[in-house]
Amino acid sequence: MITRDVVVCDAKPLRLVQRLYLVEIVKGLAVTLRHFLGNLFARKYTVTVEWPEVKREYSERLRGRHILLTREDGSPRCVACYMCEEACPAECIHIEAEDVSTSPTIEFEKRPKVFTIDLLRCVYCGFCVDACPKEAIVMSRVLEMAFASREEAVVGLDQLLQKGPTETLNLGYRPYYGAPRSRIELPIPVKASARTGAEG
Amino acid sequence: MANREARLAAIRTAFPEGGGVVELPGGDLQTFRVDRRVLPDLARHLKDDPALDFKLLLDVCGVDYPAREERFEVVYHLTSLTHGHRVRLKVAVREGDAVVPSVYGVWKAADWFEREAFDMFGVRFEGHPNLKRILCHPAFQGHALRKDYDPGQRWLLREGEQDEPAWAKEAQENEDHFETQVLNIGPSHPATHGTLRTVVRLDGELITKAETEIGYLHRCFEKMSETHTWNQVIPYTDRLNYCSAMMNGVGYALAVESMLGVEAPPRAQVIRLILSELSRIMDHIVDVGANLNDVGAMTPFLYMYQAREELYSVLEACCGSRLTMSYVRIGGLSADTPPDFEDSVRYLLRRIPKLVDDMETLITENRIFRGRTEGVGAISAEDAVDWGWTGPCLRATGVAYDVRKAYPYLAYDTYDFKVPIAHAGDTYARYLVRVEELRQSLRIVEQALERLEPGPVIVDNHNVALPPKEEVYTEMESLIWHFKLIMEGMKVPAGEKYGYTEAANGELGYYIVSDGGGKPYRIKVRPPCFAIFQAFPHILEGHMVADTVAIMSSLNIIAGELDR
Amino acid sequence: MSNSGGKLSLPAARSGGQAAAARQPDGSQVFLTTKLEKLLDAARKNSLWPFPFGTACCAIEFMSFMMSHYDISRFGAEVVRFSPRQSDLLIVAGTVTDKMAPVMVRIYEQMAEPKYVISMGVCACTGGFYRAYHVVQGIDEFVPVDVYVPGCPPTPEALLQGVVKLQEMISKGETHYQRTLAERRAARAQAGA
Repeated sequence: MITRDVVVCDAKPLRLVQRLYLVEIVKGLAVTLRHFLGNLFARKYTVTVEWPEVKREYSERLRGRHILLTREDGSPRCVACYMCEEACPAECIHIEAEDVSTSPTIEFEKRPKVFTIDLLRCVYCGFCVDACPKEAIVMSRVLEMAFASREEAVVGLDQLLQKGPTETLNLGYRPYYGAPRSRIELPIPVKASARTGAEG
Repeated sequence: MANREARLAAIRTAFPEGGGVVELPGGDLQTFRVDRRVLPDLARHLKDDPALDFKLLLDVCGVDYPAREERFEVVYHLTSLTHGHRVRLKVAVREGDAVVPSVYGVWKAADWFEREAFDMFGVRFEGHPNLKRILCHPAFQGHALRKDYDPGQRWLLREGEQDEPAWAKEAQENEDHFETQVLNIGPSHPATHGTLRTVVRLDGELITKAETEIGYLHRCFEKMSETHTWNQVIPYTDRLNYCSAMMNGVGYALAVESMLGVEAPPRAQVIRLILSELSRIMDHIVDVGANLNDVGAMTPFLYMYQAREELYSVLEACCGSRLTMSYVRIGGLSADTPPDFEDSVRYLLRRIPKLVDDMETLITENRIFRGRTEGVGAISAEDAVDWGWTGPCLRATGVAYDVRKAYPYLAYDTYDFKVPIAHAGDTYARYLVRVEELRQSLRIVEQALERLEPGPVIVDNHNVALPPKEEVYTEMESLIWHFKLIMEGMKVPAGEKYGYTEAANGELGYYIVSDGGGKPYRIKVRPPCFAIFQAFPHILEGHMVADTVAIMSSLNIIAGELDR
Repeated sequence: MSNSGGKLSLPAARSGGQAAAARQPDGSQVFLTTKLEKLLDAARKNSLWPFPFGTACCAIEFMSFMMSHYDISRFGAEVVRFSPRQSDLLIVAGTVTDKMAPVMVRIYEQMAEPKYVISMGVCACTGGFYRAYHVVQGIDEFVPVDVYVPGCPPTPEALLQGVVKLQEMISKGETHYQRTLAERRAARAQAGA
C-alpha cells in the first residue's frame, strides 16, 4: 500500500553560484584537500592497512582454516560421528572411521582414520563447528593460504590436527557459551574521542 | 477491501461460480485456482476493476508435482498498491499439453518471469513475444527445475552457439546508411558489474533497439535449495544479493518461521533489524559509488568505501565473515553480538554521515554530474508499476511503496522514519532517493539501539534450533535433539508461503512450498532486480551509448540476485 | 615479448655475448637469454596489470582489495585494465557458469603473453558448494590456473597473499606460462641436437 509518510527529494534547480562552476570547484577541492592533508600528516589514522607488515585485527569469530582439536594425550577429539560431513552444504568433508573399541585404554568406540577437508570447496560457513558434538572441529583465523594446485588444498589429519597448546592457535570461530568472546576492531586506529563520541 | 469475501464478490461479478475460477480454502494468501482458458480475461479484470486494482504483478513461477495428473502449476502473485491486498492465482496444466496463455499483454512484468518458467519447467506461454531460454544457455537440454532433472547434469556451451537476438543477424534496413551497426555491451564489460549483456542497434550514437541477455551467473540457487536442508539454505541466500547479504537471510528466515509458527526472540529481532539496515547502507554505498565511478567520479567511491570497510568490521565481529555472513538461523541468530556492539554501531552512526556529506559536497549539486544524469533513463510511474518495479527505483518515480511501511515486519511500524520519494524517475532521482534512504536507515539504527535489551537470541525450541552447546556436551537428551536436527533437518509443516521483505533493491519475495520433509520442496525467489532489469532495454531506446552505463548502474543490478 | 626465447637477438647477445654463447656446448645463447628472462620477470612481477573478471560476490571483495584500506598499488598491480590485450594477469573473481565459460576462454586467449591466472574464491577454483547443472566445477577445466585463493569470498588479505605468491612463482619460473615456455625450449633444443 502506498504510504503517506514520505520525504520528497526532488532535484532542486541549480542556483547561480552553482552554475558558475568556480565556487563549486573550490568547495570540492577543499574536501579532497582535507582528505589529502589528513593522510599526509596524520599517518597513524590513514586508512590503509600496511599488509603484510601490519595485519588487520579480526574478531575471534572469523571463519578461517579448520583445526581439529586434540585431547591431552594428543589423540584427536573427533569420534567420527559424521555430523560435520552431514551438515556441510558444500560436502567438502570426508571421513572414514576406524574402530578402536577393542583397545582397553580408549573410552571411545571410533576415531577417524581419514579426515580430509577440501579447502577449495569449503565455503567457510561454520556449520561444521555448529554441528560438532565434541568440540573437535573449530576454525582458526588463518585465511591467507593460496595454493598452487588443487591437490595440495585437500588437507588431511596431519595438517588439520592442532599443533601446540590451544593458546597459541590463533583460534577463530568456535562454539561458545556464556559471554560473547570477541571484540570489534576497526581496521585502523581511531582517535579515542571519535570512538566514544566525546566530541559529539 | 481488506477481506476475502469482498474480493471474491468482486471477482464473481465477472466470473460466476463454475466460470473457471475456484477459491481455495485457507492458505497464507487468498488463492484462486484458475482455468487457463479464462486466465487472460481474469487478469484483465483483476487489473482494471477499481475494487480489485491489482496493478503490480510480483511474480510468476512454476512448480512441478510429478505425482499429480496436472503436473505443472504456474503460480502468480499480485498486489494492489491502492488497497494493499494480495492474491495468488494458480493455473495447473498437464505435461503433454503444458501451454498457458501469456499475461504479458496485461502486465509487462510477466515478460521475463514467464520466460524463466518456460526455461525451468518447459511450460509454454502462448502469445509471449519472445519466448526462449533466459537463465540457462542455449545448448542446455531439458528443464532444470523439473523434479526428475539431475542437479549435477551439465551441458557444454561452445563459443559459436551463444545466443544472439534474431534482429541482430538481419540485414540493415538501409545498407547505405553506414552509421547503423549492432554493438555488444558485455558480458565482460567494466560497467556491467558482473555479468550482463546488452545487444544494441545503433544509429550513430543513438540506440534504436536493445535486447538484454542474462543468466551468466545462474548458479542454480533454487535447485540447490531443494537438495539441502532448511538451515543449509541460509549460506546460499547470502549469495543472492551479495552486497547486502544479511537481508536475504532475514527474509528467508522470516518466511520459514511463519510457516513453522515460531517467532525469533525480541533481541534477535532488533539485531536483525539493525544489521539489515546497516546492510542497506552498505548496498547503497556500493551502488551509489559504482554509479559515480561509472560516470567518471572516482573519488566519492573511495570515501564511501571507507565507511563500508568499517561496517565490515562490525558485521565480521558479529558473524565471522566480512561479506557472506550466514548469521541468521531459523528461529533467531547463530550467536549474540559482541559486548562492544552498541558502541561500535554508535561510532558508525557518527562516522558514516561525515563521509556521505563529503560525497554530497562533491556530487549532488555538481553541474557536470547533473547534466550527465538528469533526464537520463527516465520512466513514468505507470510504466514502472507495469514492469513490476519496487524499491528505490520505483520510489524515484513518485510511488511511495515500501514494504517496511505497507506490510511492517520486525516491528518497522514502531520506528520513526520516512520513505524518500522523487518524481522525475531518472538516474539523478534514483541517486537522490538512495542517498536519502541511507540517511533514513541511520535514523532507524539509532532508534533500534535504544531498544536493544539483553535476552536470548534464538528460540528455545529444539525442533527448530540447535540446543546450546554446553547442554549438547553434557546431556543425552540435548545430544539426541542435536543429532536429529543435523541429520534429518527440521520438519516444516506442509504448505506454502509467500514471504516478502524490503531488500535494498525492492521487494524480495520467497515463495516457499514445503511437503513436510526435511528439505524445501520448492523455493522461488522473487528478486527485485529481475523485474527492474527487464525494463532496461526498453528504457535504453532513444538514449546514447554512453547513457547505458549511467542507467545500468543506477538500477543497481546485482547479478547474484538477478540470475540466482 | 614473443615466446621465441632462443632466438633473441639483442645487441648484447651479438657483441659481448659471444663469450657467453661460446660456453654453451651446442653453441646456443641460452645462458644470456635466461639472464634477460630473469630481468624481465623481475620487471613483470612488480608491475602486474590485472584484468578483473569479476562475476559475483568475489568481485565485491576485489573492490575492497583495490580500495584505500588494502590498496594493491603497494604491490605494483593497481593498473586495472578491462581490455584483455593490455593486461597480463587474469583474476577470475566469482562463479563461472557454463554460459560464461566461452567468454572467459575468449578473454584468456586474447591476452598477450606472458599471462598468469589467479582463481579467486572457491567457486572459481572448484565450483564451491554449487555442485549444480550450470556451474563450471573449477575454471581449470578451461584455462590453466597459477594460484588458487580459497575463501568464500577470500578476504582482501588472502587475495593479496595470492598475488604475492604469484610474484614469487614468477621469479622462480614456476608459473604455467614459464613452464610451457621452458618445455617448448627444451623440445626445440632436443630437436636441434
